[in-house]
Amino acid sequence: MIDRATFLPLISPPFTTSIAIVFSFGPRGLITHDVFGLQNVQVYGLTSTFAAETLTYFPIAYLALRPMLASISNSFEEAVFSLGGSRWHAFRTVTLPLTLPGLANAFLLLFGCSLADFATPLILAGSDFSVLPTEAYLQITGMFDLKTGAILSLLLLVPAGLVFYLQEHIVAGRSYVTVTGKASAISVRNSASSFAKFMLLAFCLFVCAVILYFYALLFYASIVQAFGANHALTLDHYRVIFSEGLPAIEDTLIIAFIGMPLGGLYGIIVGYLVGRTNFLGHKAMEIISMLNYALPGTIVGIAYLLAFNDKPLALTGTATILIACYVFRYSPTGIRTTIALLQQVDKSMEEASESLGASGFLTFRRVVLPLITPAFFAGLGVLFIRSMTAISATIFLVSIDWTLITVKILENMTEVALGPAAAFSVFVIVVVLLVTELLNITLQHLMSPRLRINRIGT
Amino acid sequence: MALGVELDGVSVVFRHQRRDDVIAVKDCTLNIKPGEFLTLLGASGCGKTTVLRMIAGFQRPTSGRVLIGETDVTGRPANQRDIGFVFQNYALFPHLSVFENVAYGLRVKRLDERDIRQRVEEGLHQVGLDGYGERMIPELSGGQQQRVALARAIVIQPDVLLFDEPLSNLDAQLRIQMRSEIRRLQKDLKITAVYVTHDQEEAMVISDRIAIMNVGQIEQIGTAEDLYLRPASRFVATFLGDANLIESVIIDAGMDWCTLDVSGSRWNVVSPRRASIGSSVVAILRPETISLSAPQADGGGLKGTIVSATYLGSKVEYQVRVGDLKLQVVQPGPTSEARFVEGSEVAVSLPHLGVHILGDDNAP
Repeated sequence: MIDRATFLPLISPPFTTSIAIVFSFGPRGLITHDVFGLQNVQVYGLTSTFAAETLTYFPIAYLALRPMLASISNSFEEAVFSLGGSRWHAFRTVTLPLTLPGLANAFLLLFGCSLADFATPLILAGSDFSVLPTEAYLQITGMFDLKTGAILSLLLLVPAGLVFYLQEHIVAGRSYVTVTGKASAISVRNSASSFAKFMLLAFCLFVCAVILYFYALLFYASIVQAFGANHALTLDHYRVIFSEGLPAIEDTLIIAFIGMPLGGLYGIIVGYLVGRTNFLGHKAMEIISMLNYALPGTIVGIAYLLAFNDKPLALTGTATILIACYVFRYSPTGIRTTIALLQQVDKSMEEASESLGASGFLTFRRVVLPLITPAFFAGLGVLFIRSMTAISATIFLVSIDWTLITVKILENMTEVALGPAAAFSVFVIVVVLLVTELLNITLQHLMSPRLRINRIGT
Repeated sequence: MALGVELDGVSVVFRHQRRDDVIAVKDCTLNIKPGEFLTLLGASGCGKTTVLRMIAGFQRPTSGRVLIGETDVTGRPANQRDIGFVFQNYALFPHLSVFENVAYGLRVKRLDERDIRQRVEEGLHQVGLDGYGERMIPELSGGQQQRVALARAIVIQPDVLLFDEPLSNLDAQLRIQMRSEIRRLQKDLKITAVYVTHDQEEAMVISDRIAIMNVGQIEQIGTAEDLYLRPASRFVATFLGDANLIESVIIDAGMDWCTLDVSGSRWNVVSPRRASIGSSVVAILRPETISLSAPQADGGGLKGTIVSATYLGSKVEYQVRVGDLKLQVVQPGPTSEARFVEGSEVAVSLPHLGVHILGDDNAP
């Protein structure tokens, strides 16, 4: 259940946490006003932004750390116990150091996410402090000052580049954890005392409760007339999004469903080229595709805007540029997963196929391809989720002809039409959950039901 | 139809850019008879797997030829040779059922559905896995997976069956059971088999002939008995079973006998070798051929002291010091009275027959 709860922030449209925080802790917030009776609480500022970003992005750290922690063999801890060490000692001297690369990686990941976060500060930062991505956005769309916007984005490149460099060269190289490949017999980890376990569990449950509360709040906000003022139940907001907001919904879905297969295919093709072949420049290809993913969204968005504004490829304002942006920006997940899966396909399997008379192509089709299908589906899933929820890159690329739900949410937020904003958000979450569930079912159905398949999104 | 395999002066050299070239196989010539079970035996890194992979077609020789039957297949890749390969890690396809794994080669050949079904079921029956067709690979135990790998290789009715240390991932009990099954199957199907292993006992149990390899070269080929009783070199003598290597000088010789000097005593040995007096030789003495007895007060002959005694149930292993020699002796199933304790004196009696003599240059 904790697993599912952490999944939610990953598939939500932007502003979800921000809206919920404003609703809870704002001047007329549920908790501050209604529960505690405080008046005029200042919710905007550093603390709220900090809290919102933590809650929004911690699932990424969780996803990065979980396999790491799981792969640390129990025998290490048991060795410490046998040598007389206490549980805390084992944790401090063995588990923690071994997890350090994972922690460093998670830290860098989140640092990058927060750095590039455009949506949350837009709502919550207030006039107290400003962040680069948001400033760049305001300069371009508010002041039509492309130059300043571009400069601000470039400044963002410096820390982003540093993060990328650190990840690739320092963390990736130093993996202390030896994956033994043999699952140790059952022994449940015993490194925390019952009390510690209880406290940690309580904390986790508390965080889950907070997340679920936020989403409940979101849903509630979408079905009441005006949150904080009029709590009469209504379906008006939904009516609005399906009438006025229908073009946005159509556009977003079209783009998502086109981009999905394109991105999935691109992912496995590049993944195969990089992982299995050795053609000249394959390393460069890997780096370039990763770069697109590592850069903050605002930079990518502005770059696309500038690059495709004129001939020979005047794509601004079309669906093509939106799809292209999504495909190239979010395929790295598919690429990385393909490469990882390919590494698992032992060469002896391909040799076995060969020894049974199969040609190279037949071997690829009947042995390799089925084994990297999960990577294809992972790519599909990520692309769809992102197409429905991304904003930082694509906000610069929308136009009269093609607009996105996430942009509509932003518009509604700035007009303080919180009801429709919440309704849109709920709609996105529901659609994403449906589609990812469908993809999972299809994947399970295609592959042997007995093989262990990782859920899409993890 | 069983075909023989011939390797003619085959070498494999791995070239490295920055390091020295590695000669994995050096000038290997091997003639495997049709229907024969030949084992390539040796320690890790001796080149045995490379030789096997050359027969399979996964490795191209740097020089020399590979022939299956009368056909030169040196240039042909694995999928154009009629071979069946059983891998050390089984290399079963995890996304396919047992049935589909076994049927794989038959589907490549595009046999019709009925033939495939019949052959697969027969194959599964032969390896004792009737009814396992619908299971998935991860559900099977190591031994079962091994059998699926075996079935997969035999249903395509290859000319040659190749085994790359197929039993090394199984526990001891299973290994013993599986090796007899493999042998039985091979005999029933009358297919030529080439088997790679580092386990001498395994080699001796299942093979018609054994080829012992050392640093890329074949040291000796022969039956288990040939290799054990008449090792061609020190390496073979110590690799297969335990051996005492007694360095000595021939002090007297005749038509089919010679006398060696051992720790001051004269030791007469029946030997077909034409030995020249004064030449240095190495006598190979197996531990079970030496007898120990209580020392007689007046007896001549060799005397020794027990350095260590290890009781192993069916036998006792001793280390006996005789002069400056340290001999390994094995005493089968002794009663408690007949056992010797550490430190005691014993009379050591060396055999006259069954002693294999090697010249100092390692030639017999």
